[in-house]
Amino acid sequence: MFSVREWSDDAGALRRFGLALVRDDRFVFDEVAAGALVERLFRQASLTLVDGPAGDRRAARVCAFAQFIRLYRRYVRRLAADEDSGWIEAPPSGRSGGSAAVAVRGLPLDLREALLLVALAGFTHQEAATALDLPLAIVVERLVHARARLAAHMGATRPAVAWPLSAHLRIVK
Amino acid sequence: MTSRGDPADALAYVDDSLEPEARRLFEARLKADPELRREVALWESQNRAIRSAFGAQTRSPVDLGRASNENGLRRGAEAPRPAETDLRSHGVRKRRTPPLAVAKPRRVGPGPAGRRFLGVAALAAAALAVGLPGSGPEPPASLIAAGASAARALAGLPVEFGAADPAALAERLGPRLALAPPQAPGLQLVGARFAPGSEATATLYLYEDAHGARVALMVEPLDEAGAAPPLRSDLDGLSLAGWTGAGYGFVAAAADDADVSALLAAAGVDADR
Repeated sequence: MFSVREWSDDAGALRRFGLALVRDDRFVFDEVAAGALVERLFRQASLTLVDGPAGDRRAARVCAFAQFIRLYRRYVRRLAADEDSGWIEAPPSGRSGGSAAVAVRGLPLDLREALLLVALAGFTHQEAATALDLPLAIVVERLVHARARLAAHMGATRPAVAWPLSAHLRIVK
Repeated sequence: MTSRGDPADALAYVDDSLEPEARRLFEARLKADPELRREVALWESQNRAIRSAFGAQTRSPVDLGRASNENGLRRGAEAPRPAETDLRSHGVRKRRTPPLAVAKPRRVGPGPAGRRFLGVAALAAAALAVGLPGSGPEPPASLIAAGASAARALAGLPVEFGAADPAALAERLGPRLALAPPQAPGLQLVGARFAPGSEATATLYLYEDAHGARVALMVEPLDEAGAAPPLRSDLDGLSLAGWTGAGYGFVAAAADDADVSALLAAAGVDADR
């Protein structure tokens, strides 16, 4: 039986993922709609636990994210067709956020999906490939491109110096 | 993209997608390749920035040595991956100021000999995750001001976590604040305490120099601040150095300029600017 509480961590992760992935607020226009969508996706995903191998909860999580991605892709395609817009997807704008958020939202959808599945949602590359219904090599290629663009946007060619390998606390007597 | 070899391995390493054996082999390769270490550290900092920007907790304690340019080694065991939390509300940043009152300094005795301060901890509040705009080539003035305020107000107070009490430190601090503090010659680590940073909770590491004077190093998670080399300044008799990098802001503060220089040298950053 599906329990909202039992899936609350995964639902929180999917909401964060959705917030990061979706440029257009019309896709899910308020918190109530977002909550309902996420609950529905995980309710569907939980059914795979009944029919599939016991304990394969992580696969169900991938399934919920994959369904969200398909929904958003469908929305973007329909929007482009309806509005006959030059944009395949709405341009990034509006929402607040720091430089990382702006940089991520500025990525094309295919790069954004791969990067956020791995870096934000915590999926492995293989799980991301499953969620995106793509070969692993394509996902890795997208990750490389996404990270290169992100580094260029954030102006970081290399991480900052912190302190060296040998740094550690001495024994305090 | 890695300059040598297949970037897929490096990416898989950063994204926890390698099998244990492959991971071990890659770490051996990482150890011998400084360029690869830099790329891995960059990608790891991107992961931290993304997770911070969208309100997720970081996956594992941050090893600043590993995040630095010269270190790609994974030191110690990975912490268990924390559960995701509900969506953080974006928007209002709460600015806090340090308390004005300065209590009488109390020397906190060090722990039993031979006990090591491990400097590894569980995750701090996800509310720290509000992003900051890029700071450019200089550390934010607000960071240095917060470090100076914290040092003035808190450096003389008892520490909340003694240097010989790693268990309490691990329980209370989180990966965002879990650092391996620099070992500066002539400075003895006394412990750490929480302090209000410029935008979020910071850790104030406290040292004592040979004369018993307190030296403070404030470390604040600033995931979206750009890297900036140390900026030296003096304020009300306090020598300060602020810098950013590896997703953090740092402020070293002491009455004696030499103590600040010692901390900078131990941290492996340029002392003069």
